[in-house]
Amino acid sequence: MKPRWKGKGSQAKANADPMSKIVSQLQSSLIQSETRGLLSSCSVLVEVDAELADLLNRSCFGRPRITAQEDKQWFQLDMEEAFYLCFSLKCLKVIGEDGYIKSNEELWDYLKSKKPVFPVSYKVYSHLRHKNWVVRSGLQYGVDFVAYCHHPALVHSEYAVLVLSEGDNDLNGRLRVWSDVHCTVRLCGSVAKTLLTVIVNSNNQGANSPSCLEHYTVEEQTITRWNPERSREDQTGPKNGTKKV
Amino acid sequence: MATHIASLRKLWALHVLDGNDIHLSLKELYEKLSNGKSGCYWELFEVYKHLKSLGYVVGRHGIPWSVKGQQIKSGTCSLEGSQESNEMLELEPKDENSVIELFNNMQITDVSPAFNVYLPNSKFRKSSPGDPSFVLYISRCSPSSRVEIEALEIKHGAIPFKFCHVENGRVSFFSFAKTELPILP
Repeated sequence: MKPRWKGKGSQAKANADPMSKIVSQLQSSLIQSETRGLLSSCSVLVEVDAELADLLNRSCFGRPRITAQEDKQWFQLDMEEAFYLCFSLKCLKVIGEDGYIKSNEELWDYLKSKKPVFPVSYKVYSHLRHKNWVVRSGLQYGVDFVAYCHHPALVHSEYAVLVLSEGDNDLNGRLRVWSDVHCTVRLCGSVAKTLLTVIVNSNNQGANSPSCLEHYTVEEQTITRWNPERSREDQTGPKNGTKKV
Repeated sequence: MATHIASLRKLWALHVLDGNDIHLSLKELYEKLSNGKSGCYWELFEVYKHLKSLGYVVGRHGIPWSVKGQQIKSGTCSLEGSQESNEMLELEPKDENSVIELFNNMQITDVSPAFNVYLPNSKFRKSSPGDPSFVLYISRCSPSSRVEIEALEIKHGAIPFKFCHVENGRVSFFSFAKTELPILP
């Protein structure tokens, strides 16, 4: 599926400014500034200066929070975003309610306790982010994530992503029945996205620590509806006399 | 029931001969289909009818198009004119063959493919049908798992396959395709 760019010049802008580079700049900037995030329920809050705010916006991590402060801005990171910055990019440290920095294992346990599917959900998030796709919450579309090939201001998201798990730990339970397939595919179609299921197999590694993640395997799959009324033309050449119903 | 059958006849006329060359009425046809061995002939028939009426060439997977002395002619279906006109789906079976025979011993299982389907305007010839445009599986209970789909991908190789789900007279087709999103710059 080809990306649908928003307006003229968007594609050129995106090509001139690759996401991998923006994320890399974000990573360096966070490390340099020794930024600390504050753990708050299911989010991590970070206080950043203008430069970091700009990088967070351009790389699509977190959402800015409105405050009265002028020189500093607060961003709210989702679980997956926060853990990606901490564990994968190693550029953020998170402070718990007790005032102490949480280790990756402690953070992992905490996030798992809030969201049992977190290990599998995180695997999918990081899998796509590693490939430099922009990944955001897909809640308003009834899916787990939406994936963009660059910043949402420049391009429409192509994929609605559902996290599925295989093997011993199937907590998600989506697409087990045909009615759910119908429903999800229809919804995705109505918002011009392709349904992408990412199936995670934990390979019996469990989820005791984030180091289990590297043993998880991931498979991607698209699910699309085929309409026989619209596909009657032989793809190899134009035909006469076929009336489309 | 009689009016229902009459109006169905108008929509498409299906001439079916049973093993004794006796012309079956539509009612008898429906009855025979409902009493199929595995009770699933009706769904098979719905799918078959749906695709045939749109002009697709549909054959049973695993059965050759031309069998010595028993040619099943997959009739012509005109796409010109709208569906208001009588679209004649003529199956002219010879000898013991009939639509029932076509579905004989067929079972809907999630693991055995039901039909080979060819696009309507493809240059289909019974003598050398070539690879189907896709193989069709009829799914009954629940969508197949990734493991099951992977096995099918290996089995069919380059030929695509689709799943068909029939419920309440609605026939829906889905493709489950393995993919890999590219690594972006």
